[in-house]
Amino acid sequence: MQSHLTYDATEPIPNEQLETLWNSVSNDLREELGEGPFSLWFSEFQLTHAGPEGITLLAPGTMYSIWVEENFKDSLLSVFRKHVAPCEQVRCEVVCSSISDTNISDKGSMKGEVTRLKPRVMVEKISESKLLERGRAAGLVDTFRFENFVSGENSDLAWAAAQAVAEQPGKTYQPLFFHSACGLGKTHLLHGIGWESLRRRPKSKIIFVTAERFANDYIEAIQKSSITSFRKKYREADLLLIDDVQFLGRKEGLQQEFFHTFNSLSDKHNQIVLASDCPASEINALEDRLVSRFQWGLSAEIHRPGVEMRAAILRRKRDDWGNGVSDEIIDAIVERVRGNVRVLEGALIRVAMVAAMNDDEEILLSDLDKILADICDGGESRAIGAQEIKRAVAEHYDLDLQILNGKKRTARVAEARQVAMFLVRKLTDLSLVEIGASFAKDHGTVIYAVKKVKAKCETSSSLKNTVELIKRRLVRSGSGDRVRGGNARQKSSGLRLPDGFDRTKNSGLLGNSDA
Amino acid sequence: MKFQIEKDVFQDALNQVQHVVSARTTLPILSNVLIEANDDGLQLSTTDLDVTITMRIAADVSRTGATTMPARRLASIVRELPTSEIDFEVNDDNAATVKSGPSFFKILGLPSTEFPTIGEFGEAKEFTIDQKLLKEALRKTSYAISTDETRYVLNGVNCLIGEGMLTLVATDGRRLAMVEQDLEFPAGNEIGVIIPTKAVNELQRLLNDSGELKVALTESQASFELNDSHLITKLIEGNYPNFRQVIPGEANHRVTIEREVLLNAVKRVSLLVNEKTNSIKFSFEDHRLAISANSPEIGEAEEVIDVRYDGPKLAVAFNPEFVMAPLRNLDQDEVFIDLIDESSPGVLKIDEPFLYVIMPMRVAN
Repeated sequence: MQSHLTYDATEPIPNEQLETLWNSVSNDLREELGEGPFSLWFSEFQLTHAGPEGITLLAPGTMYSIWVEENFKDSLLSVFRKHVAPCEQVRCEVVCSSISDTNISDKGSMKGEVTRLKPRVMVEKISESKLLERGRAAGLVDTFRFENFVSGENSDLAWAAAQAVAEQPGKTYQPLFFHSACGLGKTHLLHGIGWESLRRRPKSKIIFVTAERFANDYIEAIQKSSITSFRKKYREADLLLIDDVQFLGRKEGLQQEFFHTFNSLSDKHNQIVLASDCPASEINALEDRLVSRFQWGLSAEIHRPGVEMRAAILRRKRDDWGNGVSDEIIDAIVERVRGNVRVLEGALIRVAMVAAMNDDEEILLSDLDKILADICDGGESRAIGAQEIKRAVAEHYDLDLQILNGKKRTARVAEARQVAMFLVRKLTDLSLVEIGASFAKDHGTVIYAVKKVKAKCETSSSLKNTVELIKRRLVRSGSGDRVRGGNARQKSSGLRLPDGFDRTKNSGLLGNSDA
Repeated sequence: MKFQIEKDVFQDALNQVQHVVSARTTLPILSNVLIEANDDGLQLSTTDLDVTITMRIAADVSRTGATTMPARRLASIVRELPTSEIDFEVNDDNAATVKSGPSFFKILGLPSTEFPTIGEFGEAKEFTIDQKLLKEALRKTSYAISTDETRYVLNGVNCLIGEGMLTLVATDGRRLAMVEQDLEFPAGNEIGVIIPTKAVNELQRLLNDSGELKVALTESQASFELNDSHLITKLIEGNYPNFRQVIPGEANHRVTIEREVLLNAVKRVSLLVNEKTNSIKFSFEDHRLAISANSPEIGEAEEVIDVRYDGPKLAVAFNPEFVMAPLRNLDQDEVFIDLIDESSPGVLKIDEPFLYVIMPMRVAN
């Protein structure tokens, strides 16, 4: 279009004109195809001949010539026809024995030997960006890696198991079941296993979901009648990581589906890792067959970290975040804040923020109590008292508080009294004798009451609900349990009795205040 | 020659070897299967002078010998025989009698001496390789082989062993399929050959999902030994052009799509493909892909599917058959399409070492 000059090709066009002709043709081609494709395909082409028998282009390689002929022949012809007349055809030629054309040279032979070709085991061949992309697609959170998990006495078993599973999924522990109070690192370990497995086996199919998400997917699948793709998704995972499995409690249809998912994965020796806020046996209304399957592999509990561990964790966090809080301050925080790791992190963030505004460390140290006042309160100092529990029970049963301490033994009063004893036993640190004393009874009565309520809860759902309800009210009333402030994910292990006491097992009713 | 054989075994083996036999051939002997009976059992061979397949099967041989029989006719007879035991006897005039229960057949063959012998197999490089690996790799590439006989070097799968990799490539000038599998093998043993289409097809039929096969390669021939079969083929002579020239570099945009969803959508939309341009339009925008076809005389079709894509609005036209071919031959759940712009080649990838280059069509729009 720019050039209206038409070349006469009844005679071969002289070489010195070929270059200008090619330039004009190139410009038109560029306009038609766009700059990108033009330079991709034609930048190294040369016009070597134009005459009555046609046009010859020299291609930089055979593959170029083939692709250009296949894909751009019409464009070439029409563009050339604007500039050259007559123009019968356009051909591509290739420089003979072009070096770029040889793929591989035939080097020496190995006579008599059979070479074994086997796929190379792909190890660490995944780039960080690919890893991130795949991990995120699997539902993994960037920061929860093995590298930044601080292990210690409290989490020895869980940590070792997590590493073993990431190394050899489906072989060692099937399933691996983590349980602990919240904020102690279950989720971190789950994600860590995911990342590590992905790094080792970039092609494996990894799924991380919370049980709630699993449930929603299931419901959605039923609604959209796409249950097959739901099953395909979960039953073909090489590694299935499920968080908050206590959520399965009381959901029968879901448990059924999960049961089959579980079996199908474990038949294929694909790894399953579960995390829950209580041992499998304590998950509320979980089918026995699931409980037994959860207990089948390895159950690893993460305990509450000791002072040194908490300090170590906080120091690591500080280093990760790069805020300049000193070791002294961290020690001071650790001493004051006894909550879980999340609470600790919160405390650190707050202190770091105050520190950023105020340089004087002395002042900071002395003000620490004030700064962390509410967080510290979340600790043991604000435990639920026996009195509070009794009041709540009395209120629920619509009784006078005094009657609970009295001698009246009508069925209703006796039940209320027993429930109160039971809850005091569960929710406080008080000894049996102390509890007995507060009810003006001896410790034997308390033991009997606790046993009775527990047994009844197993048979009577109404009593169970009553106990749950009162407990929830207590927790929600803002007093929190003796370990930490009210968090939506209230945990049973937070309610555990001090060492030396007979730990009440199988108290399903304590497990699921949030179910 | 006389033997007794199980019908199923005989039938399966005849089915495997008869594909090589061409229906119309100038040399009658090439329509025949060579049957050799020795103490170990039977050996069946067919050839079209380019590809030769030999299978060994068990049989109760009471008199050794060799003959040739019309392959397709024999196969269809054996298929219909009423009993599971077959008695087979050939006289000196190459006339065979086949007895199975009440059935009796007499088939006229040709002497085994007329059957062409396979040329001497020269000094070869030998490899063993996983059958499944090769089968998958052939499946992922062979559909892109060119059928244009004027470009005979493209009428096969280019198979390269070298640089720590087994690379298989096929292209027809509009698309290119490549599998690049990392391999462990000693250096100094590189080789590149072009396996012709027919051998590729036969090989895919023979390969199993487990076990290994032995490959021997010379300049002009390749031999594949697996299970009880042996395939020898002539190779396409010439240099396979450097395919890396047409593999685009870094892409700007990546689309992640569920394979089956895409395949089914393209299949449906392509029912109304424009016969003139033979292309359908892919419009990507904000996590959705609209696939549409518009044929002035017939009508139009559109299907919108969910994809992962957060780049700018982009519309590309492809030949639907070229999009469906790889999708049919992959089994991953997800595929990725890497695009540079509307007119540069797109690249379809999966989570494994595979890529497929496809040229966009230019449509006036």
